[in-house]
Amino acid sequence: MHFAPLPYLDPGSGSFLIQLLIAALLGLGVAVRASWGKIKGWFGIKPKADEDDDESAE
Amino acid sequence: MTNQPNRGQLPASFRDPSGFLFSRDGILYRQVNHAYEREYARLMESGLYEKLVKAGLLIPHVELDPSSAKSEAAHKVIQPERVAFISYPYEWSFSQLKDTALATLSIQKRALKLGMSLKDASAYNIQFVRGKATLIDTLSFEIYKEGEPWVAYRQFCQHFLAPLALMALKDVRLNQLLRVYIDGVPLDLASELMPAKTRLNFGLLTHIHLHAGAQKKYSGQEVKSRSGTMSKQAMVGLIENLEATIKRLSWAPQGTEWGNYYDITNYSEAAFEHKKELVREWAKRVKPALAWDLGANNGVFSRIVSETAWYVVSFDVDPAAIEQNYQKIKSDKTRNLLPLLLDLTNPSPAIGWANLERDSFASRGPADMVLALAVIHHLAISNNVPLPQLADFFAQTGKWLVIEFVPKQDSQVKKLLASREDIFPNYTKDGFESAFKEKFIIHEAVNVRESERALYLMETK
Repeated sequence: MHFAPLPYLDPGSGSFLIQLLIAALLGLGVAVRASWGKIKGWFGIKPKADEDDDESAE
Repeated sequence: MTNQPNRGQLPASFRDPSGFLFSRDGILYRQVNHAYEREYARLMESGLYEKLVKAGLLIPHVELDPSSAKSEAAHKVIQPERVAFISYPYEWSFSQLKDTALATLSIQKRALKLGMSLKDASAYNIQFVRGKATLIDTLSFEIYKEGEPWVAYRQFCQHFLAPLALMALKDVRLNQLLRVYIDGVPLDLASELMPAKTRLNFGLLTHIHLHAGAQKKYSGQEVKSRSGTMSKQAMVGLIENLEATIKRLSWAPQGTEWGNYYDITNYSEAAFEHKKELVREWAKRVKPALAWDLGANNGVFSRIVSETAWYVVSFDVDPAAIEQNYQKIKSDKTRNLLPLLLDLTNPSPAIGWANLERDSFASRGPADMVLALAVIHHLAISNNVPLPQLADFFAQTGKWLVIEFVPKQDSQVKKLLASREDIFPNYTKDGFESAFKEKFIIHEAVNVRESERALYLMETK
């Protein structure tokens, strides 16, 4: 039987609500950027590589 | 780590039911509890562990026979690579704290791509390993469920964003708030201390000021639904915004006490070179594993010792010196040197629950070799510590001691005495030697060329 670990940190009510609000706003930005990337893709412009995929890091 | 209860479970390792650290015969192990079985499997099997370890973002570990477990709750026992020296956020320079924050966010981004998320974002979970900010808590990951917000958001803002913003935009010394508030700077306090113009910065306005306001408004209120409300896109947007906000924060040392100390030093090139020669020769002779350079400034002598020592910690009271030292470590890719902020007249205390969570400066020693160059006059004269007490302190701090005596004839000491009564009749070379002979065997005593100073190599009795 597996017990899913309960979150041991209290995210805090206020922190939780403000996070939803900010993230909703910022999520829109991500969506817009993604569509913009697609549009650029139609014109053959490649997106910049995400630095977090850079495996050359030590 | 001397402050351990008998059972071997480390006193700082009690919060998270996923597992805990314990030590046995001087080796550090982490028990992974059954409750964490699924998460551990996902970490190892999704490729996340390998990816993070390869990037130097997560401490590597080996799995051991579970029969070596500490309790019946054990699913697995792992042995993480031992961290050379444990340090704390209130001992880090601005860029050190910034790099640990960015490492945390980078880990979170990589985790999200592989269906996991950080369940905590504690600055204490990051340590400098081979010069790089590295997560040392292998059990910090949970399985990401789309719709769930980031449970560690509040902690991230308190541990990283708030102190960084205060350091960059108000005063770099405000990192010392972390020594008082073990779970990070309270956001209402940060919001109050930050300059009004920070409300014009979207990231600081939202993550600090509005965040603090929301905490106050909803304090103690139950939030109805805690899931299904935050898309993955929103989560990514949040993490990227935190990252951008932090990347824009900067601090450049200027106008601090010793930042350009070596340019305004009172001794000649020849004296400086002679000191370097002696330190190099004596480090080769002692071959220390762990060396501490107390009053290291930007680490010139620490670097010399690091040629022979396994690991060197470079302590100084000046945030500018620590910052410079850290920048040099990054550009040189030095792996065995760690600069830390420390006021020798009031070193890091043991803090946290039962005073056992974070070790004091003293309990993280003793070192094999201690350097105390151009520091004794600050302790004996500026801070009035009698010479016998200084000898006691250094004898407890390390086995070997390289110490510089700076006499009253020296212009730096004259400066210290210019504004006060000379109440130090025993502060002479003879007085120094006789006080230290009580605790040490003096192996070498050399007058530094073209200067009034003398350098000693001593060993504790």
